[in-house]
Amino acid sequence: MSTPHQPAGVWRRILMTLILALLLEQLPWSGWALALRPDFLLVGVLYWTLHQPARIGFGTAFFVGLLADFQHGAVFGQHAIAYVIGVYLVLFLRLRLLQFDPLRQAAQLFPILLTLQFAVLLVGWLAVRPPSGLAILLPVISNTVLWLLIAGWLRLWHGKGLQDRA
Amino acid sequence: MATSDQLMFARRLGPTARLLIWLLIGVACVVADSRYHALDGLRDGFAALLRPLRETMRAPTDVAAELGGFFTRHRLLQNERDALLAERAQLAVGANGARQLARENAELRALLKLQARPGQQVVHAALLYQGHDWFAQRVTLDRGARDGLRDGLPVVDVSGLVGQLSRVYPESSEITLVSSPEQLTPVFVERTGQRGLAAGSGHGRVELRYMPTHADIRPGDRLLTSGIDRVYPAGIPVARVSRVTRPRSTPYLRVEGVPLAGLDRSRAVLVLVAEAPPAQAHTPEQPTQTHSSPAQTIPSQVTLP
Repeated sequence: MSTPHQPAGVWRRILMTLILALLLEQLPWSGWALALRPDFLLVGVLYWTLHQPARIGFGTAFFVGLLADFQHGAVFGQHAIAYVIGVYLVLFLRLRLLQFDPLRQAAQLFPILLTLQFAVLLVGWLAVRPPSGLAILLPVISNTVLWLLIAGWLRLWHGKGLQDRA
Repeated sequence: MATSDQLMFARRLGPTARLLIWLLIGVACVVADSRYHALDGLRDGFAALLRPLRETMRAPTDVAAELGGFFTRHRLLQNERDALLAERAQLAVGANGARQLARENAELRALLKLQARPGQQVVHAALLYQGHDWFAQRVTLDRGARDGLRDGLPVVDVSGLVGQLSRVYPESSEITLVSSPEQLTPVFVERTGQRGLAAGSGHGRVELRYMPTHADIRPGDRLLTSGIDRVYPAGIPVARVSRVTRPRSTPYLRVEGVPLAGLDRSRAVLVLVAEAPPAQAHTPEQPTQTHSSPAQTIPSQVTLP
């Protein structure tokens, strides 16, 4: 798949597919076709991340995500964040994904794509209808302090000091 | 320990670090866009960039529609012509009536010293692209600020209210549809004149909010804009009531309606451009004329059709 001796050709191919994806998104979809329409840009970016990770990565994904945000009339960053997370997950599972045949690859990509859709939903929800106050995050601090107290107390209970002796 | 030929640190950041950096940038984008509207310039840039693409990609469907129209059968055309002639005759009769009513209305308004409705001007626009957002149903039009469009203008098609302009670019604009969640439209029931608030419920439906349980409303009633908000002119059809239920849990009726406009069907729409921007509420003589408050003018407009 990878042809390192023809860098220009690879770039051209990547650019062509991304432009094709953008054009496909511009078709006037409606009704059921709109509901079922795949996110061509996302699939394109993830494919090239899998096969050309040195060329297509976080930066491209972020920019293409901004385009998708404009495309869907969403808040800027909503799809960009999801695409970046997608690139991370694909890079994380890259060696595993490359071993599989297309069917198993698709099956492995399903949870990734589901995660991304939820990321879009979550970011959009936070941006459009933010929850009242960020006070909901305060328990994180108190939980950490509680953890510290319990762990320290148990170590003292067992007769060990609070510091690790190396 | 690292020997001399081994690198102590990787020269590139690991994927996790880069993910975190890009996530921070993404969050910054979201905040800058939703709180401070700082990225509108970028949006305009994308709009200018993508507009030719959208128009190009619409061409195949246009050509298909043209070809389909070309091969329409002769008989169908004849039928259509007959129907149109009949309709024109009917409309001519109706127009005469309307002219008479308009004159009568003008006289009545002069009597009541009410201000006439601001002149409406329409801009024809075509639907370019339907968005796919979780939180709002948006449609892109091919007209924008160059044609005199502004945020907040109402958009109608042949059969009713389509929505409201929510973002305007130089050459294109976005409508938020009537059925979009949280999109509110002040309406009244055509049969009884009772006013209410229609809210989009997603899934291409609207619901009428806060109707008391004793309200007289039945399936089949038409909802028209009341004009109470001075955004929509009065009397534009919005929806037809499809279901009325009385839930035990709330003191209000649950009224569902189907929008009359072809929200996902119609390709050509009209944008109603009011001549004066809606800043009339601050004119000095306004508070002295208690008769011209919007709520008072509605009943006279209800009887218009």
